[in-house]
Amino acid sequence: MNPSKLTQGRLVLLGINHNTAPIEVRERLAIPSTRLADATRTLLHQPGIREGLILSTCNRVELLTLQDDTGEAANIQPQTTADLLRFLHEYFAVPPSDIQPHLYEFREREAVRHLFRVASSLDSMVVGEPQILGQVKESYTIAREVGAVSTHLESLLQRTFTVAKKIRSETQIGSSSVSIASVAVDLARKIFGSLERKTVLLVGAGKMSELAARHLIEHGASSILVANRTQSRAEKVAADFASPSVHTEAIPFDDLYEQAPRADIVITSTGAPQKIFVRLHGQQFLHSRRNRPMFFIDIAVPRDVDPRVNEVEGCFVYDIDDLQQVAAANLADRSREAAAAETIVSREVEKYHERLQSRDAVPAIRALQQQAEELRQAELARSQSKLADLTPQQREAVESLTRALTAKLLHPQLTALRESTRPKDND
Amino acid sequence: MIMSLLWLRVAVFLYGIAALAVLPAALYDRPRWRHVAIPATIAAVLFHFVSLAEMLNAAHHRLPVDTHETQTLLGLLLALAFLLVYWRYKTVALGVFTLPICFLLGLVPAFHPGQESTAFPIIHSGWIFLHVALLLAAYAALLLSLLASLLYFIQERRLKQKSPGLLWLPLLETPLEVLDQIAQKALLFGFPCMTAGLLIGSLIAQATVGASYFRDPKIVLAFAMWLVYIAMIHIRRIAGLRGRRAVYLASFVFFLVLAVWAANLLSAVHRFNAP
Repeated sequence: MNPSKLTQGRLVLLGINHNTAPIEVRERLAIPSTRLADATRTLLHQPGIREGLILSTCNRVELLTLQDDTGEAANIQPQTTADLLRFLHEYFAVPPSDIQPHLYEFREREAVRHLFRVASSLDSMVVGEPQILGQVKESYTIAREVGAVSTHLESLLQRTFTVAKKIRSETQIGSSSVSIASVAVDLARKIFGSLERKTVLLVGAGKMSELAARHLIEHGASSILVANRTQSRAEKVAADFASPSVHTEAIPFDDLYEQAPRADIVITSTGAPQKIFVRLHGQQFLHSRRNRPMFFIDIAVPRDVDPRVNEVEGCFVYDIDDLQQVAAANLADRSREAAAAETIVSREVEKYHERLQSRDAVPAIRALQQQAEELRQAELARSQSKLADLTPQQREAVESLTRALTAKLLHPQLTALRESTRPKDND
Repeated sequence: MIMSLLWLRVAVFLYGIAALAVLPAALYDRPRWRHVAIPATIAAVLFHFVSLAEMLNAAHHRLPVDTHETQTLLGLLLALAFLLVYWRYKTVALGVFTLPICFLLGLVPAFHPGQESTAFPIIHSGWIFLHVALLLAAYAALLLSLLASLLYFIQERRLKQKSPGLLWLPLLETPLEVLDQIAQKALLFGFPCMTAGLLIGSLIAQATVGASYFRDPKIVLAFAMWLVYIAMIHIRRIAGLRGRRAVYLASFVFFLVLAVWAANLLSAVHRFNAP
């Protein structure tokens, strides 16, 4: 009767990711979010699986499972992996031989560590990218809905979210942007603070400039002006941005210089061979804006904005190279921060393990104490007749004597039990 | 008196901690250090306040008369301004400058207490206190505005230089517009304080020593300062002055104020006897 067996199970994490498997393999195993619930349910029905969760993103497919602990760990290990492999094989109709070479497997403490690393985006292709935590949360929500996550995984995942948040707040791993569009937004926010009620002017059209504009809108920019040599094209782009919260307007290209001072942020991406904005324009714009700053994002090659506009006080010009440089520097920063994050992960894995084990010891300790108490009560009851004519004080003395005796007798066992669960290493 | 000194020393110590903690919080954007800097500042302000109240109470007057007392009151006001800016704009960048100033302003009075010069005849003590406090608040606002302009200037240089990895100055991530607003609003706050402070001062002087007070060169200087202050607000608003030029203007006004302040230091309170 070891009550700790009831709470403990074996944590196994099996998966492939962008480091171990090429895209051809990953795409065959990817599970669309609409089918995730069904897949999780199927996983849960595999023999020996007590709790389970599937994480499927474009860079990874991972099965996190809590399996029955039969106590014969050495024998069962290859078996569980085979079970999970069979599940993958059956569910995706991919032969095991195709998956196996790319598969990694973590158990217990290492599984916890891997999960912490994944959720904190340390295992991501772009370290520090923020989406992964949301994806883990989504998997968790789905798994919980289908009843695949209960006590053990529940507490593990809650801990995972806390760790991921901790890493976000204590390191700068996610604070710097690494894509051109998000770098542009970052810079805009360094100039303007909040982008609310800010106006963006798009000169020319292009995928990247529109993406940057979209990012700016997401961060609060409230109006978009579009200028294009082809008026119809400008109108079309403006229409694409139209939404209840965003004011859009196509302005005639001839009015560009009169309208430009309205814009706080100018994104240029025309194919024009000569510069569209030169230093003098910058000065004029700033004058009519009463020195309110203006941010030029020049995505065009050859450039649309003369770099000397940057010399005008209040004008900030970033061309595509500048943006790329910022992005590259940020990426380098992130890998530096990743080292700090790994330390946090290690510490948290230790903490989680300790907590888990001291929690596992609790039921056993309770059972022992209860048993002793029952014995004590029974013995007291048996001597009831002989103790009948004791005064209340004497009766009280007998009570405390027996209680102290049982406590003293139990003490070494309880200590041993607590000790044995603490440093135990499962790996 | 001993107790008030003790509290002041505690406050100065806490300012020191806050001034150090704010460096990683603002320069390297380590949010954890905010949890040190902000509580330390709040605690320092509380101790500082208690100390000041006790000091004034012990000296049996309700206004800071000697230089040390005015100096620590200015420090207290600056610390309050820093907290106010933090509360409103969630930026600790200004603390890089304000907290060391608070620390230094408190240092001398805390560890080298001055003589008790309370021979000053107290007539309208409530009004005089208001006069001193309002003027100090105006100075604090002006200093804050100057610091915000300075940060604006630094941040602007950084953004223009672009390559962030190669910059000598680490991150100072307060947006330009926010810094501009702080500079602007601090000035707007300081203006009524200075006006009212000067007005109360001249009314008191009028009542006690008559019209001759206006011949005191310090008073003349103070009114010149007021005029320049108005001019600065006006120029900033109309021309939307920012960056380098705003720093120049603010420093000019600040040095003028410093001159008035220095004049105050040289003559204990005011000497109204006609030259």
